[in-house]
Amino acid sequence: MLPIRLSKDSREPIYHQIEKQLKALIAGGHLAAGTPLPSIRALSKDLEISVITIRRAYQDLEAQGFIETAHGKGTFVKEIQGTVKQDTMTASVRAEFERAIQNAMDYDYTPGEIKAVFEEILEKLGKGE
Amino acid sequence: MPAWIEIKDARKKVDDFQLGPVNLEIEAGTITALVGNNGSGKSTLLKLLMNLANMDGGAIRILGKPVDGGDESWKRHITFQPQKQVGWNAYTGNELKNLIAPLYLKWDDKLFEHITRLFDIPLDKRFGKLSPGMQQKLSLALALPRKTDILILDEPTASLDIPSKKQFMDLLVDWMEPEDRAVVLTTHQADDLRKLADYLFLMQDGQGIGLYEKDRLVASYRRYWLTEMPDGPVPGELSRDGRLLISDDPDATEQFIVAQNIQVLDDQALELEEIISLLLK
Repeated sequence: MLPIRLSKDSREPIYHQIEKQLKALIAGGHLAAGTPLPSIRALSKDLEISVITIRRAYQDLEAQGFIETAHGKGTFVKEIQGTVKQDTMTASVRAEFERAIQNAMDYDYTPGEIKAVFEEILEKLGKGE
Repeated sequence: MPAWIEIKDARKKVDDFQLGPVNLEIEAGTITALVGNNGSGKSTLLKLLMNLANMDGGAIRILGKPVDGGDESWKRHITFQPQKQVGWNAYTGNELKNLIAPLYLKWDDKLFEHITRLFDIPLDKRFGKLSPGMQQKLSLALALPRKTDILILDEPTASLDIPSKKQFMDLLVDWMEPEDRAVVLTTHQADDLRKLADYLFLMQDGQGIGLYEKDRLVASYRRYWLTEMPDGPVPGELSRDGRLLISDDPDATEQFIVAQNIQVLDDQALELEEIISLLLK
């Protein structure tokens, strides 16, 4: 079973959550090239999501070169290039920052206040090393 | 791909109960659950599907063939597991297998043995002497190995205990691996819907309320806790209780709330069962 955790309360579409987490597992090296992925039907049962949604996530990941389907054999993790790995990590980190900053802006924080919070957290977490 | 089951304006009157007109299409590779209260017409619809009762009007095609067209060759490509097997009581599991297996070209004896061992089914006992749960397990052991294109299951988990239900789900998921098969099942078990169904066909008082893709259905309902409740109606509003609002159009609701300068304290998806209850209200 894959360590995928869906947030059903999130407004982020489920197929998008699946894609994002699978990409992170692949780019982070947790799923090596050649690793077989669960069938669409098996993942549908495990995640309690329809095959329509799983198929959409798999098709997107295949189009983006993260996985490949060998007819009759199943779906496998593809060898991805270093630049793709780097791009995936950058995109993931940027998306998290964007969400956090958007959240602060929703609460009417000024850019100065946002920077102050950022510096404070960075210092706190940096000290923990 | 053409629909594997095509139901068009199918109608049937039984005493003072009117089924339909029902419209429904089932594609290959999908599991569709018929959901509705007792007496909503699910079993009657399945009977029409299997040509076990005559339609008053409309048309049903299975794999392109009209079910009431006289030629019943389509029946070899479909398996129907009713709630109660008729005429099986006097036979043992072994005898039933010997009667059924030769009728199906793709009969898979290994799968039959696997299921009988998994569920520990006594094959030398008469069907009528088995407990309801064991009858359901034997029915399944005699259904899945036929490997027909279409499988119809009328409340397949009603008498199963929790471990057997889980095993049933695994068997059905394996059975669906070739992506050209289709399952239609009726169930009152929320777990069956969550883990197995791709589509839900909701029925009430003999009418089809709608065919819903499961994830899309869940995404189209939302519950909001607001800092204040607007006096007038909110777009998408289904119900309100104090500062709690349930919406069946989250995009419209959120747009309106933001424009009104109202904050959302918390928001949540609804459980599938809650949504079904709202639709069948």
